[in-house]
Amino acid sequence: MATDTEQLIGTTAVRVRGLHRQYGDRTILTGLDLDIARGEFVALLGRSGSGKTTLLRTLAALDHGVKGSGEVDVPEQISVVFQDARLLPWNRVLDNVILGYEGPNPRERGRAALTEVGIAAREAAWPSELSGGEAQRAALARSLVWEPELLLLDEPFGALDALTRTRMHGLLRELCAQHQPAVLLITHDVDEAITLADRVLVLDEGRIGLDLSVGVPHPRSYRDGRLAEYREHLFAALGITEDAAVRTTREN
Amino acid sequence: MTNTTDIAAVTALDVPRSVAVVPRRSRPLRRRRLGPRRRIPFSSVIGPLVVLAVWSIASATGVLDWRTLPAPWTVVTEGASLWRNGTLAPDIVISLQRAALGFLAGASSGIVLALISGLSRVGEALIDSTVQLKRAIPSLGMIPLFILWLGIGEGFKVAIIAIGVFVPIYLNLSSALTGLDNRYVELAEVLRLSRWQFLRKVVFPGALPGLFVGLRLGVVGSWLSLVVLEQINATSGLGYMMFQATNYGQTDIICVGLAIYGIFGLISDRLVRLAERRVLSWRRTLNS
Repeated sequence: MATDTEQLIGTTAVRVRGLHRQYGDRTILTGLDLDIARGEFVALLGRSGSGKTTLLRTLAALDHGVKGSGEVDVPEQISVVFQDARLLPWNRVLDNVILGYEGPNPRERGRAALTEVGIAAREAAWPSELSGGEAQRAALARSLVWEPELLLLDEPFGALDALTRTRMHGLLRELCAQHQPAVLLITHDVDEAITLADRVLVLDEGRIGLDLSVGVPHPRSYRDGRLAEYREHLFAALGITEDAAVRTTREN
Repeated sequence: MTNTTDIAAVTALDVPRSVAVVPRRSRPLRRRRLGPRRRIPFSSVIGPLVVLAVWSIASATGVLDWRTLPAPWTVVTEGASLWRNGTLAPDIVISLQRAALGFLAGASSGIVLALISGLSRVGEALIDSTVQLKRAIPSLGMIPLFILWLGIGEGFKVAIIAIGVFVPIYLNLSSALTGLDNRYVELAEVLRLSRWQFLRKVVFPGALPGLFVGLRLGVVGSWLSLVVLEQINATSGLGYMMFQATNYGQTDIICVGLAIYGIFGLISDRLVRLAERRVLSWRRTLNS
């Protein structure tokens, strides 16, 4: 897990080779290889149960007791944003944002992060008083305080309504442009993936089935005609037809 | 809900010309309100006041024989005269002392043992199943054994009260400690909290609601044990006073004792609730 010297000099943030993971008899990942460059924004798509979350938990070193093998190199400083904002209900927003942070001036740093995500005024609120979007902004602020070299996002906008989700997409892109972490975004939303990511991966049968660089400059709208081709590619890789896909994304 | 709005907005953008105008209903739709209505002011005293009124009327008209239950004012005047002639105060003090000592001993041992068993697997193996077994034996059932061990002095009374208080506090706190949401454990790992930070910032605050449930049950338990102990094995205290009054058919003194027990029970419960509200201000329940 430690950062080796080669990696410090190089431009790779994440390097995974031959990753194998299984739960009981069920094999989830079979010899997966993955590289993420520094500052690169990668989205990971896959059907449910394809092992997206297993991969993320491996990178975050949260997979205690899971059987497996492989080589995993990740940076020292990793932040994770979960699908639920996961704020401690007994801490006010600012205390949640700086939880565990022991660098200099934690409160100033926390306030700066809250300002960046646009909820500076809510620092003294209890988590139960926040809307879903505000809670997820606070979770983003908590991950920023640590200045992560790798930001792992596990369907962070899945529980938000469509309008809030679109706003959060804009915010996430801004924050990433500002702080330049390597990003791995797990999502089931093809439009989200192609709007946000530099590169979209599809996880299939335990390894990366498709690796697609999206060559459209930011900011992108998912209505951008140039994205249509990428969308089709990804739908095909995920095994869904365009009609069904449009229906599901609308329903989501 | 917002989703629906959004889909509507998108559709409207897509096909602006074909939006049909639906005529609005002129009369607003009325819904039957199913949730609770607004609270009646001072609702918590209305019921007791009605009972008191019925009791007073029954006593005044003679429907209620004073030998069965004396009039409310008789209870008050009897209490006042017992207080004035100095027999009531020592009984109250000794009863309060027993309840307080028993509660403190029970609560502190409950908290300490719950921490040991909730935070370490070895502690859990040693303590938890033992306490679960003990739970099957009512603590008042242990009175005979404890009399043999400790005699019928104050130590024995405090010990029985402490055991009654210990059990609910232990059970609620240890289950709150072990029942911590695994998502918060994961979060603490991601944020690299030290073991002590994890306990202080995540585990303990998360277990506080459970501790307060235990404390409230413990307070009730301490009064219950006290009443039983004083009426069967005491030579002082409120229960002893009431037990003596039985021999002389003094229902008014029995009622004074009951009223004081009631007042103490009410006050101690309120104190715990007040502390709970202060400490758990982050909790917003339906009642707030």
